[in-house]
Amino acid sequence: MSITKHINDWIDERFKLSRLKEFLAKKSVPINKHSVWYYFGGVSLFLFIIQVLTGIMLLLYYKTGEDASYESVQFIMSKVSFGWLIRSIHSWSANIMILAIFIHMFSVYFTKSYRKPRELTWLTGFVLLILSITFGFSGYLLPWNELAFFATKVGTDIVGSVPGIGKYLLIIIRGGEEVTGSTLSRFFGLHAAILPGIYVVILGIHLFFVQLQGMSEPSEIVKLSLEKRKSMPFFPNFMLRDILLWLVILNILAILAVFFPMELGQKANAFASAPRGIKPEWYFLFMFQTLKYIPAKVLILEGEFFGVLMFGLAGLLWMLVPFWDVKTKKGYRYRLVNTVGLTVLLFIIIMTIISHFFS
Amino acid sequence: MKKTTIYCFLSFLILFGKVFCESKDQCIICHLDVGDKPAALYKTDVHFQMGLSCAACHGGNSTSDDKDLAMNRSKGYIGKPGKNKIVDICFNCHSDSIKMRKYGSLKPVGHIKLYKESVHGTTEITTCITCHGVHNIARVNDPKSPVYPLNEVKLCAKCHSDPNYIKTFNPSLPTDQYEKYKTSMHGQRNAAGDTKVATCSDCHSPHNIFPANDPRARINAFNIPYTCGKCHSDKTYMKSYNIPTNQFEKYSKSVHGIALLVKHDKSAPTCNSCHGNHGAIPVGVKSISHICGTCHALNADMFSKSPHAEVFEKNNIPQCEVCHSNHLIERPDDDMFRMGKESRCIKCHNVQNDKGFMAVLTMTANIDSLLFKQKLAMQVLFQAENMGMDVSESKYEMNEVKQILIKARTVIHKANLNDFKNEIKPGFDIVNRAITAGNEALDEFYFRRWGLGASSLIITFLVVSLYMKLKKIEKKQKNSEK
Repeated sequence: MSITKHINDWIDERFKLSRLKEFLAKKSVPINKHSVWYYFGGVSLFLFIIQVLTGIMLLLYYKTGEDASYESVQFIMSKVSFGWLIRSIHSWSANIMILAIFIHMFSVYFTKSYRKPRELTWLTGFVLLILSITFGFSGYLLPWNELAFFATKVGTDIVGSVPGIGKYLLIIIRGGEEVTGSTLSRFFGLHAAILPGIYVVILGIHLFFVQLQGMSEPSEIVKLSLEKRKSMPFFPNFMLRDILLWLVILNILAILAVFFPMELGQKANAFASAPRGIKPEWYFLFMFQTLKYIPAKVLILEGEFFGVLMFGLAGLLWMLVPFWDVKTKKGYRYRLVNTVGLTVLLFIIIMTIISHFFS
Repeated sequence: MKKTTIYCFLSFLILFGKVFCESKDQCIICHLDVGDKPAALYKTDVHFQMGLSCAACHGGNSTSDDKDLAMNRSKGYIGKPGKNKIVDICFNCHSDSIKMRKYGSLKPVGHIKLYKESVHGTTEITTCITCHGVHNIARVNDPKSPVYPLNEVKLCAKCHSDPNYIKTFNPSLPTDQYEKYKTSMHGQRNAAGDTKVATCSDCHSPHNIFPANDPRARINAFNIPYTCGKCHSDKTYMKSYNIPTNQFEKYSKSVHGIALLVKHDKSAPTCNSCHGNHGAIPVGVKSISHICGTCHALNADMFSKSPHAEVFEKNNIPQCEVCHSNHLIERPDDDMFRMGKESRCIKCHNVQNDKGFMAVLTMTANIDSLLFKQKLAMQVLFQAENMGMDVSESKYEMNEVKQILIKARTVIHKANLNDFKNEIKPGFDIVNRAITAGNEALDEFYFRRWGLGASSLIITFLVVSLYMKLKKIEKKQKNSEK
């Protein structure tokens, strides 16, 4: 008996790994014209893993505080071996992860994979999107540079427009009336402790649901007989394809980090005037641009608050799509869903382009 | 003929008799009769000579010999004018150019209006009669006038040299101006009877006197060069004194003049900063370094410790002026001590193997070398920065080199080679470190490119291997299915 088999048996006796092997051997992934979209969930997961690993590495040198954050990032970039690479990969990976999550979400939406029995998978996925965006927003401030400072100021100002409780919410978020070192401490705590904890739990549930229910198949495929439905084993076929794609993405990340390293810019200065053309991260641009078009006062509400309220309601409707996308009386699918999805997608793309290139 | 003569006489009487009768100034007639001193004085007054009666200031009817009619308050008689009325009475004519022209005066009257805004006018400390006298007012160019150039300084000093009087108005105002003036070149000449030299009103203006910090004041820092230049740049006016008249022209081109007149830097020195104000004199040879040292303290201190200080004093050489000139002080540059036509050093140290000559050569070589290395370091750092490398720390440190160069150039005033070398050495250390850091950043840039190439190669190899493995597995699976 070889040593490997001996170890396997020893572990199997205690943890019953043979059941997992059996599960993996049986697990299959459907093959159809939409199969390509299945990979984006895995890509998002891979990028999250990169975020965790590079984030931990950055934690070894990052210091929080008005007098330390900028300097520590500068130190990471210039003095720590491969610090520049780790920081750039962390930043690029964060951006690509949000993009991958968006693609994953829209692919699930348009293939109607959120429908029964996967309503909760969709819900947890939506929560993960919100958490990812919050990750991005909180992480953006941590280098404590000029752009981050003013973007956070503008971003958190919107909270202050909520009638009645806005002022208190703003103080809670900022740790005071202005963006200061207290805001930095809060955002760091959120970014490096609170969010990862919540994220891992929600992600675990999301993955558990996916494993439990398997990959969703388009309705036209489901109607076919089992013989006509194609599939491939999850292990090793799909798994190897996943790894292959992950390697390509890793290489793209390395190229971006080397050719387009993330700049640090000037240190934040609360007394300096805001730099011209200050904009948030690209995934907030569509909201940022929309808020510009809303008048200062809408009925009795502040324009900004009205905009945020509308986005909140739209987000809620989007999250609850599995519950309002129902069959019509005649048994047809609700076509409005596709129209809404396309409108939202076009709206996001157009607004982002306007904000980025023409504003 | 006789008839015609009588007819003409009668006609003359009819025509001019009334005029003769009315032109009699009854005020003077009566007041002289009663032995009134002001009336006696008024006969010498310029106004009386111009035909103005007492009524011109005091009101009333000067043609009437009836006291009640002549001094009737309901008819405009005001008696002795109150202090607040005096200025208005004088201004009635003296601020009206048309009225003044009738009396043959073509002088501008606008500046007199400013009197009311002046330090004297706003506080009513003085009125016209305080300076010009009353009842015996004489023309300004009349030696009897209190404001005649030879009398004016004493007139002003009456109040301005009395500490007890002045402190009731402005406790911080000095009262030694007259004493200082007497020591000045202006004061000495004035005392000798020269009416052309500057007196108080030449610098402070006669009527529109403002505090020095008021931009309207002639003695405001920004106006002083023009105030002094008014006389000192006038070749005709200054001809008899046989002194240059190009000071203003030179000063306005100097580093000090540009700072004050172009950049409006009030801290820049103006004429009185070096020459003094009330005690203005030409700067003496021995006092030059002290005067320059009031602002350039470090340079003056270094110069005083240099071997030059003793030699210059012995040979009566004007210290700072030898290298920097006086009115035309230009921004010092490295050509001042380089071996060229602009060099100040070789004016004296022009012998090969002279210790000073050799020291100058070493200093020049050091400065030029540091400047060259500074430029080189900045080029390397900019190149690295343009390639996306972070060299901000070295760039920040390079700022120190500018300071070191300034210090090293300042130490030249000591004329001590060792001190100079000690000052400039840290500059060389910094530029050498910056060049090394810049080159390391460039090496790192290429290392990253090569590293990326190598890692891409490995990843590509892995991707290809995985793909082949996948194909192999799938082929095997297909075969087993068959």
